[in-house]
Amino acid sequence: MPLIPRVLSQIRPQTNYNSRRSALTDYLASNNISAQQIRDDWDRRQAEALRQPDQAEQESSNAAEESRSPSVLESPEDPVKKRKRQQAIARIKNSKEFAKRKARFNGDYDDEDDDDDLALQIHEEKNRPKPGQLANCEICDKRFTVTPYSKAGSNGGLLCIDCSKKQKADEKKPPAKKRGPGIGRRQNQANLLDGLTPHGTQSLLETCIKKVADYIHDIEDFGDLPPSLLLRLGQILSRRRAVTSRTLDLFLRPKYTSIDLFDCAKLGTDDYHKILASMPRLTRVNLRFTTPLKDPIFHYMMERDMEIKDLHLDGPNLVTDACWRQLFMKLGHRFLSLKLWNLDSAFDNETARVMCLHCPNLQRLKLKFLHKLDNDMLEGISTLKSLQHLSLRFLDETETQTEPLLKIIASIGPQLETLSLEEFYLADDRLLQHIHEHCRHLTKLRLTLNSTFTDKGLAAFFTDWSNPALTYVDMNSLRDVDMTNPAGPEEPIGLASDGFVALMEHSGSKIQHLNIASCRHISYKAFEQVFAEGKMYPNLKYLDISFSTVMDDYLARCIFRCCPALQRLVVFACFKIRDVHIPRGLALVGTVGATIKIDGITQTETI
Amino acid sequence: MAPSTDSEFVTIVSNDGFEFIIPRSAACVSETFRLMLSSTNFPEGRTGRCVLEDYSGVVVEKICEYFCYNEKHKDQVNVPDMDIPPELCLELLMAADFLNT
Repeated sequence: MPLIPRVLSQIRPQTNYNSRRSALTDYLASNNISAQQIRDDWDRRQAEALRQPDQAEQESSNAAEESRSPSVLESPEDPVKKRKRQQAIARIKNSKEFAKRKARFNGDYDDEDDDDDLALQIHEEKNRPKPGQLANCEICDKRFTVTPYSKAGSNGGLLCIDCSKKQKADEKKPPAKKRGPGIGRRQNQANLLDGLTPHGTQSLLETCIKKVADYIHDIEDFGDLPPSLLLRLGQILSRRRAVTSRTLDLFLRPKYTSIDLFDCAKLGTDDYHKILASMPRLTRVNLRFTTPLKDPIFHYMMERDMEIKDLHLDGPNLVTDACWRQLFMKLGHRFLSLKLWNLDSAFDNETARVMCLHCPNLQRLKLKFLHKLDNDMLEGISTLKSLQHLSLRFLDETETQTEPLLKIIASIGPQLETLSLEEFYLADDRLLQHIHEHCRHLTKLRLTLNSTFTDKGLAAFFTDWSNPALTYVDMNSLRDVDMTNPAGPEEPIGLASDGFVALMEHSGSKIQHLNIASCRHISYKAFEQVFAEGKMYPNLKYLDISFSTVMDDYLARCIFRCCPALQRLVVFACFKIRDVHIPRGLALVGTVGATIKIDGITQTETI
Repeated sequence: MAPSTDSEFVTIVSNDGFEFIIPRSAACVSETFRLMLSSTNFPEGRTGRCVLEDYSGVVVEKICEYFCYNEKHKDQVNVPDMDIPPELCLELLMAADFLNT
């Protein structure tokens, strides 16, 4: 006993400063001796020794017991403790937490004994050692450091790591998480956007391709994969941004004549050399995000006089104008298709002129977001006499004019099969008239982002047009944009009711893909008329009617009735679609909080 | 011998002789099998026995597992993908391409 007071006298001054701890206090704490507790015990023993000198011995042993395991109930003959505990329990009984727990456990019936137990339980929980302190395990009695993750045993004490592990293993594992409504909603929506329908299993092919993509880093060689699968794998890997120098090797097949990689951002300049060198028979080069592609790559192509016919490049911004011109002069005569996207530092009107001059056999031309091009280059396009597919999109700040477009249509219109003119805001009805007059072989027509065409012009355009029915029509965002007049002018601008009816009259029999998103002046009546009973659009697979705010459940049903082959219906911002019954195999994209039932699916699950 | 098109089950045989007997409807998920089995002009259509010469028992087992998995889940929503051991996935991929599944 004399040891304790001495230690106490040394540590007492220190313990008064909570912020400062001496090395001794730390040492004692690490051996689980709490100075505070020792002092308290000592004070109490002193006090009690004065009253009951003969019981002092017993007290100290009790105190030691208590310090080891505070949760163990004290013997009833400890009056001070008992009183303190009872006071604590009384306090707890009045606390909010107690009321909450009582409500949770007991329901509404009242029982004094239960109350006492519950209050005792809370009392014990509060008196548990804090994280960082030491405690004795309830089961094996071993000393251990308490952490926030320490588990409580069945008697309220804490368990050491080993015992908690044992106890955890004993507890039955909760049943596997079942995928239900609400779970994986984001994934479901993502799948819908990919056009995957939510019911049934995916094809084995798709499952395998995904698995291969997952383990791409363990694969040394694809073996004899057919080009179609290679393309699909390339797509998936590109989407996951997993095309690197290493995975590139898997795609290099000397025998194949085409390469399609949709994300080349992680390839180095050498990798482009590798592609060209290891695939000498390449005729089709389709590479996207090709930032590191530089002049030497084109020089290599020219030196080897490669037989490239199709060149599709997205973002080769390090290639200079001089090099582009050289390329067109050397290899241009072979080019059948040229598609370029996102060039900001090179490719000006002069280069475009050289291109038109030296690539007379071009059948397909797509130029999108080429910053340095404007109306001046359009003239050259009318000299491309073999052109069948034309897609153009300038930057939105480019002031587009109608006249050069009229010239193009007048000169090459008759042979065009695809015409895609996006974001020509100011092109007017004269363009429509020219297309109406000159084009006879169009199958795909995209006229988007324009606020000058009138509904009348569009209706006249589709009426009595000698061009056969179109299969692909994209007319999204043909509408008047005036914030102060959301209903639009009296004479509708853009694709409105008459234009839409005329379009479906003209192309309904063959149309496969129709996008009329944001053509918000099409009336309910026009939709009713187009999707009336008896009307049939047997080939329509894709329909986008986003932002047509009149669309409701009834119209959606009409659409399903008239379009038996429909695979995707996009309805962003069609908030009146609340409760629909969709056919199997259809992906309905963009509903918010709507109840969707699928034919033949027994589960009553919403997507 | 009666044409096997009446039979409810078909037999799929691997190149090392393992035979898998599965419901006809399940096997017909594969366009290739469907064509093989639907016509009596092919021996497969007459006997209801398809031999996959290029694939071993392990792969064919997995294929048949997929057929049944697909059959079981065809009326459910949000079905998780079937688990495929990574070492089999390339071979299965070729098989799936061949079977048009």
